[in-house]
Amino acid sequence: MARSVLAWVCGVAATLGATALATSWMLVGGDRRPLLIGATTDAHHQIELACETCHDAPPFANTAAATQALNATCRDCHEAALRASDDSHAPRLFRSPRMASYLQAIDARLCTSCHIEHRPETTRASAVTVAADFCAACHSEGDQDVRQARPSHATATLDNCTTAGCHNYHDNRALYEDFLVRHGTAPWLAATPVHALGAASRAPQPPQAVTVASAHPAPAAALSDPEPLREWRGSGHATAGVGCIACHAPSLASDAALGAVETHWIAAPDTAACRDCHQEQATTFAEGRHGMRRHPLVAPARDPDQGLAALGLDGRLPPSVLAWFADPPRPLRMTVAEARLPMREDAAHRSLDCGTCHAPHAVDARHAAADGCAACHDDAHSRAYFDSPHHALWRAELVGDAPPGTGVSCATCHMAKVERRGEVFTSHNQSETLRPNEKMIRPVCLDCHGIAFAIDALADVTLVARNFQGKPSVHVESVDWALRRAKGDGN
Amino acid sequence: MLTFAEELVLLLHDEAGAPRPIRQDAMDCALAGAALMDLAFAGRIDTDLRTLTVTDASATGHPALDRVLAKLATRAPALDTRTWIGELCMDEAGAIHEAVLSGLVARERLARQAKGPWGLGGLRYPSMDDKAVRGINSRIRQTLASDDIPEPREVALISLLDACDLLGHIIPAREIDQRRARIEQLHRMDLIGREVANAIATAERSTLLAIRVRSARRRRLMLRLSTLGALGVVATLLAPRVALPDQFGPSLLKLLWFDGLWQQWSGYLLLGVSGAGILAALLVKARPVARRGGLHWWRLGHVGFGLCCVLLLFLHTGFRLGTNFNAALMLFYSTALLLGALAGASTYGAAQLRRLGINPKVPKALTRLHRVTLYPLPALLVIHILVVYLY
Repeated sequence: MARSVLAWVCGVAATLGATALATSWMLVGGDRRPLLIGATTDAHHQIELACETCHDAPPFANTAAATQALNATCRDCHEAALRASDDSHAPRLFRSPRMASYLQAIDARLCTSCHIEHRPETTRASAVTVAADFCAACHSEGDQDVRQARPSHATATLDNCTTAGCHNYHDNRALYEDFLVRHGTAPWLAATPVHALGAASRAPQPPQAVTVASAHPAPAAALSDPEPLREWRGSGHATAGVGCIACHAPSLASDAALGAVETHWIAAPDTAACRDCHQEQATTFAEGRHGMRRHPLVAPARDPDQGLAALGLDGRLPPSVLAWFADPPRPLRMTVAEARLPMREDAAHRSLDCGTCHAPHAVDARHAAADGCAACHDDAHSRAYFDSPHHALWRAELVGDAPPGTGVSCATCHMAKVERRGEVFTSHNQSETLRPNEKMIRPVCLDCHGIAFAIDALADVTLVARNFQGKPSVHVESVDWALRRAKGDGN
Repeated sequence: MLTFAEELVLLLHDEAGAPRPIRQDAMDCALAGAALMDLAFAGRIDTDLRTLTVTDASATGHPALDRVLAKLATRAPALDTRTWIGELCMDEAGAIHEAVLSGLVARERLARQAKGPWGLGGLRYPSMDDKAVRGINSRIRQTLASDDIPEPREVALISLLDACDLLGHIIPAREIDQRRARIEQLHRMDLIGREVANAIATAERSTLLAIRVRSARRRRLMLRLSTLGALGVVATLLAPRVALPDQFGPSLLKLLWFDGLWQQWSGYLLLGVSGAGILAALLVKARPVARRGGLHWWRLGHVGFGLCCVLLLFLHTGFRLGTNFNAALMLFYSTALLLGALAGASTYGAAQLRRLGINPKVPKALTRLHRVTLYPLPALLVIHILVVYLY
C-alpha cells in the first residue's frame, strides 16, 4: 500500500515537474528545439529557433486570431517582394464579395492556405503545401474555367500549371500573355549580348583621394603582417579611398579628435562596419538565405527575466536554474554546415557574413561573383558552371577580352543588379530570383536571350543541372500559344 | 506431504513426463478446486455453497496457495465458492500449475526437461518419484474399492477428480462405472473441504460445463483481442504512413491528419478512451467493484478500450510517428499499448506459453513494464496539447 502511494506521489510530482519545465520553455525561455513538431522548410530553417518571428499571437489566442497573426507576420517580411512582383493573386483581389465562392475552395487571402510550416510531408518547392493541382480550386469552373475559355488548355490537367514553365501563382511578370507576345519573336541570343546593369556596375571607377580619417595609420601591431596591406592596395577600397580605420575603427573615422587609434581599433570588424557604406547590400543580404538571421523582423532571443517576473520569480532563482530558461544562443552567422544544399565538406566550418565571400582586404567583387560561391556550394549546377559557356564569357570579361557585362557569373543570375536613383547596386538577396526560376527571366536572361529560349531553358531541369551547357530539350508552348492567339488563331 | 494440487499434477502427467491429453479448461478447473481444498484443509478458509470466508490469512508456505489466499483475503466475502472457482480458473490456474511444477522440481519429485533446443518445443516433467504416483493411485483405488469410512483427503481428491471429469484419466472407465454408487456416497460425506468439491461436484453437470466452457471462451476472447491489439501497435510502429491523395479538393484523409478541428476530435477522443481504459484497470483492482463481481467485464473493458486506442491512434496519426516530443509521446504511448497487449496475450495464453517453454514470469513482467511506460504519458500529453495551442 505504502509503495503504491509512493509510486503515485512520485508519478504525479514527475508529471507536474516535467510539464512545468516544458511550459516554461514555451512561455518564459529555454531550448524549444525538442518541441518542434516537424522540420522547418528550407526557406525558414535558419530562423526556426526564433519562434516568435512567426508565432506572435498571444498565448492561447483563438484559431482565427492566431491565423490572422501568423499571416500578418508572413506579410511583414514578404509583402514588399510580392508587391514588387505585381502579385497575380494579391489578397486585395479577393476582398470583393464576388470572390466569396472561390474563397470557399481556397482562402487566397491567407498565406497559410498554401504555405504551412513544419509539414515536410506535404511541402513542395517554394514551401507550397497544397496539392499540385491547386489551380483547379478556382480555374476549373464558371468564368475562370481555363479549359473552356482557352482551346489551347482544353485538355489541361491543371496539375502542372506552375511547374511547366507557363505560370506562377504570384510572379508572372515574365509570363503574362502580352509580355510573351511582345518578346516572343526575339532570337534565342541577342546580337550583342550584354547584361546592361552588370556592365554599369562593373564600369571602372575613378580613383578618389584618400581622406584624412581613412588615411590615419593603423596601429603598428596591426601592420606587422604585410599581406593585408598588400591586398588592400589592389582593392576597390583603396581605389575609393577607404583606409584601414574606416572598417577597423569606424568610431574614430567619424570623430575629429584623432589620436587614440589603439583604443578604437577593432581587429575583426563585423558586418556592421560594411553596412555603414553598403547599406543596400547589407539590407538585401539580410533578406536572402545567406543572411536571414540578421533580418530586423526576426524575433530576438527572449528575456527570461521578463517571463520570470510575470511569475513573480525574478531574482529568486539561482544562476544554475536560471540557465534552464535562457534561449539557446542564436549566432547571427549561418554556418555552411547548416545548409541544406550540397556543400563542400572542407567549407563546413565557414560562417556567412560579408567577409566570407569578399576577402576582407582584397574585397574583390569579381572573386565573390563566382569563385566565392564555389568555395562552399558543391551541387551539380554549381560544379557544372565552370565548364559552361557562361563561365567562358565571364573569364573573357575578367581578362579583358570582352567588354563589361558580357560575362555571366553566379552573381549575374542569382544576385540581380538593381538600379535605384541612378545608381546600380548588387542585390545580396540570393533568393530573390531563385524560385520559381522564371523570376530570373526579366532582370537577367532577357538582356541576352529571347524569352522563348529562356523559358524553355529554365523549364529543362537537366539543362539547369548542366548549367546551360547545350540547348533545351524541353519546349514550353506558352509563347507559341500567345503568338497564335495574338494573330487571332483562337488559342 | 503433498498438497492436493501437487497430487493432481503428479497424476496428470504420464510416465514420460508429458501432460496427459486433458482439456485445458478441465485441468484449470481442477487446479483451482485443488488450491481451495488445500486451503480448506489447511484451515485458512471456510466454505459453503453461498460464501467463502478466509478464517486465517497467514501464509501456508506454498507459493501457489499463498498467492490464491492473498487474492481471497482481498475479496473473499464478495463471491461464492462456485464463482471463485470460475475466477481462479480464469486468472490463476496457469500460475498455480507453474508454481506446483516448480515446487515439485525443487523437491526432486519431478525433473524438468526441454523437448527441443533452447527450451523450444515445450517442456516435459518425468517423474523422479514413481512411488509417490503409485501411492496416490493406490489410495484412490482402495478408497473406491472399499466400503470403509475413508480418509477425508481421499474423499476430497476423488470428488474433485470426478467433478472435473478427470477420474477417467487415472482409472479405467469400466471400474468407475462399477463403483459409481461408492463415488456418489463419497460426495455426500460431511468432511472438511467437501463444499469445495461440492461446489464443483454437486453442481449440475451442465452448470459445471458452462463454467469451464465460459472460462475457456473468455480466455480465448481475451487472447484474441490482445493479440489483435499487439498486431495493431506493431503495424502502427512499422507500417509506412498512409499517403495523402495528391489532388486538390475534399479528402477525408487530409481532414483526419491535417485539419486542426478533426485532429482535436480524434486526439481528445483518444485521450478519453485511454483514460477509460486506465479507469477500467484501476476498477479491476478496486474492492467495491471486486465485491460486486463481474471482474471479467472490467478486464474485457480494459482490453477493449486498449484496442479502441490502437484504432484511434491510427485515426489521429495515420501511422505518422512525429518528431521530437511528439515522437517521444508516440513511442511511449505505442510501447504502453504494445506491452499491455502482450501482457494480456501472455496472461490468457499462459498454456500456450508453457508449451513453448517460455518463462512463466513473462506475463507479470510485461504487466509491470506496461504500467511503467504509462508514467511519462501524462507529462508528454500535456506538453503535446500545449504546443498545439501555444504555437
